[in-house]
Amino acid sequence: MMEVAAKQIASFKLLNPKTTSPPPHRRPSISISGAASLGHLTRPDFPILHQEVNGSKLVYLDNAATSQKPNSVLNALQEYYASYNSNVHRGIHYLSARATDEYELARNKVAAFINASNSRQIVFTRNATEAINLVAYSWGLSNLKPLDEVILTIAEHHSAIVPWQLVAQKTGAILKFVILDQDEIPDMNKLSEMLSKNTKLVVVHHVSNMLASVLPIEEIVLGAHKVGAKVLVDACQSVPHMLVDVQGLDADFLVASSHKMCGPTGIGFLYGKSEILSSMPPFLGGGEMISEVYVDHSTYAEPPSRFEAGTPAIGEAIGLGAAIDYLSRIGMQKIHDYEVELANYLYESLCSVPNIRIYGPRPSENVHRVALCSFNVEKIHPTDIATFLDQQHGVAIRSGHHCAQPLHRYLGVSASARASLHFYNTKEDVDDFIQALNDAVSFFNSLK
Amino acid sequence: MNSATAFKTSTPPPTTTRRRTTLILSSFIKQPIFNTKNIHLTLKSLKCFVDIPNLSVSCSSTTTRTDSPIESEEERVANKLQRLVFEFRSLTEPIDRVKRLLHYAETLPPLNESARVEANRVTGCTTQVWVEAKMDEFGRMRFGADSDSQITKGFISCLVWMLDGAYPDEVLTVKTEDLTDMNVGIHGKEKSRVNTWRNVLAAMQDRTSNILSRWK
Repeated sequence: MMEVAAKQIASFKLLNPKTTSPPPHRRPSISISGAASLGHLTRPDFPILHQEVNGSKLVYLDNAATSQKPNSVLNALQEYYASYNSNVHRGIHYLSARATDEYELARNKVAAFINASNSRQIVFTRNATEAINLVAYSWGLSNLKPLDEVILTIAEHHSAIVPWQLVAQKTGAILKFVILDQDEIPDMNKLSEMLSKNTKLVVVHHVSNMLASVLPIEEIVLGAHKVGAKVLVDACQSVPHMLVDVQGLDADFLVASSHKMCGPTGIGFLYGKSEILSSMPPFLGGGEMISEVYVDHSTYAEPPSRFEAGTPAIGEAIGLGAAIDYLSRIGMQKIHDYEVELANYLYESLCSVPNIRIYGPRPSENVHRVALCSFNVEKIHPTDIATFLDQQHGVAIRSGHHCAQPLHRYLGVSASARASLHFYNTKEDVDDFIQALNDAVSFFNSLK
Repeated sequence: MNSATAFKTSTPPPTTTRRRTTLILSSFIKQPIFNTKNIHLTLKSLKCFVDIPNLSVSCSSTTTRTDSPIESEEERVANKLQRLVFEFRSLTEPIDRVKRLLHYAETLPPLNESARVEANRVTGCTTQVWVEAKMDEFGRMRFGADSDSQITKGFISCLVWMLDGAYPDEVLTVKTEDLTDMNVGIHGKEKSRVNTWRNVLAAMQDRTSNILSRWK
C-alpha cells in the first residue's frame, strides 16, 4: 500500500496536468456597465496582495479571519509614530494634544460609521472579544440573577459564548441556544418562542462567520425589547461589509473589530446606549477611567473613559479611523452590492466541485449570503485541502472550527474549510480558488 | 506495562551512524528515509534496507551502502532528527515536502480503535489527533498515534518514527525548534493551533513526563 501511494505521489504532476500548467490568463472582470470591478479598482491600494506565496500569486481568501490593510492605513500608522506619538488626554504639550485630537477623532469616525448618535457611546477595546467581556463582566454580573435567561444561537463565535458561560457560572443565569432551521439559518421562530419574562439578554451575530447568513436584527430587537430584554449584536462580520445603523437596529450593545475592517489589530469597539453604559460599573481599574482616587476608594469617569483603563491603543485607533475613511470613500453600499455579486459567484462556482457540502442557506431572492463559504469535500480533511491550496497554489483559506465548535458539532463535523472574500477580491480570485480546489480534490482522490 | 506488543509493528530499525548517514543521504535523500509499516520485512530480507528501507532499487545497485558497516545499536533520536531535517531540506519545492508527509502518513501503523478516546486527544490542533503513550518492559517509550487528516498523519508518522522506542530522557530533549529546518508545517516557533509538530511533540513529551512521574 505504501509503495502504491509513493508511486501515486511521484507521478502526481502527470496525473494532474493542471498543476504544472501556468495559471490561466487573468482578465479583469468587467461589469455590465463596462467598468472594471471594485476588486480590480481597489487591489492596487493593498500592497500585501501583490506577492508570490510558495511560487504562486497570492490569492487571499481568509478575510473573515482578518482583512488586509490599504496604504492609507499603513501611512496613518507611520505618520502617528513618526510625527506625533504621545500619550493621550493628560499631556499639555503639542504632541499629546495632537495625539488626543486624532484619537478622539477616530472615535467620532466610528460613531458616524455605524450611525451612533453620540461618540461617547463608543468604547475602544482591544478587540470585539474584549468588548463582549466588558459587557459580560460589567452589565452581566450586576444585572443577571439566578434563573435569568440569556438566549444565544448555536452559531455564535466562541467569543460570544464563553464570556456568558463564565457569567452564568457566577450568577446562576441560564444560557439557552437557538438551533438552525431547515435552511441552516438560526431559527428565528424558535428564538421568538424562547423569549419570556425571564429573558434578560439576547446575544446574536449579525452575520455568521460560518453559515454566511444574515440575521434580522431589527425583528430580534423588537421581540426582545417587548419582554424587557437587552440585545447584544456581534457585528464583526457585518460592519466591514455592509451599512450598519445602530439607531435603525435599536440594538443595546454592538461590537466589532478593527482588523476585520481594514484597520490595525489590537483595537475594537463597543457601542452601547448611553443610559445603559452610564449605569454600568467599571470593568477594569486603572488610570484614565477614574474621576478621583483616594486611598480607600475611587470615583469613576463617565463613559467611555470609565471603560478605557490605562493607556489605550492610540496608533491603532487612529489607524482604524483611517480605515473608516477609506471604506467610506468607496461607500459601504457599493461594497455590499459588489460583495453580494461575489458571494453568489463564489457559491455557484463551489457548487460545481464534486462531492462538496456547503454550509448555510442556499442563496435565493429572499435569502442573501455574504461573500464566504464554509464547506467540506467528502473524505478529504479540510486542513489537508487548505494545506494543499497554500503549498501548491498560494491560495489562502482557513480550515478548522472557525471558533464555532458548537455549530460544527450541531452539523456533525469536527472541522470545515472556509473561503471568505472582501471587496478587493475578484471573480478571478474565485476562479483561481476553484481551480486549485479541484486540483486538490483530484490529488487526494488519486491517493485513495 | 505490557504495552510493547501493541506497538511492535511501529518499532523502527536499528540503523546507521551520523557519519554514514551523511554519506548515504547525500546520494539518496530525495527518497523517503523510513517506512514503519514494512520495517520488519525489510530488515529480514535485505541488510541494506536498514539505512533507507524504501530504496530497494537504488540500494541493491549501490556498493557504497552494502559495503558500509551496519551499526548494531539502536539509532539515537538525535540521528533520526538529523536525517528527517536533512531529508525535508533536500526537498526544495513546498509541495514535495507535503507529498513526502502524505507518503509517511501511509506508513503510520493503524491505531487501535480503543485508543481513539478523548483521553488520548491532542488539543489545540485544527485536526483531530490521538496519541497513546506507554512504557515497555525495557523502560523505553512506545507511541501510537492517528489523525483524521492525512497531512497531520504525516507529521505524526515522522514523530512516531523518531521517538518510538526511545528512552524518556531522549524524548524529552527534542525541541520544536529542532524541527523548524524541515520547513513544512511549522509556522513560526511559537504555540499555534496549526503547529501540529509542536502540539503533538508536546503531547508526547507530556505523556512521557506523566509516565515517568508515576514510575517514580
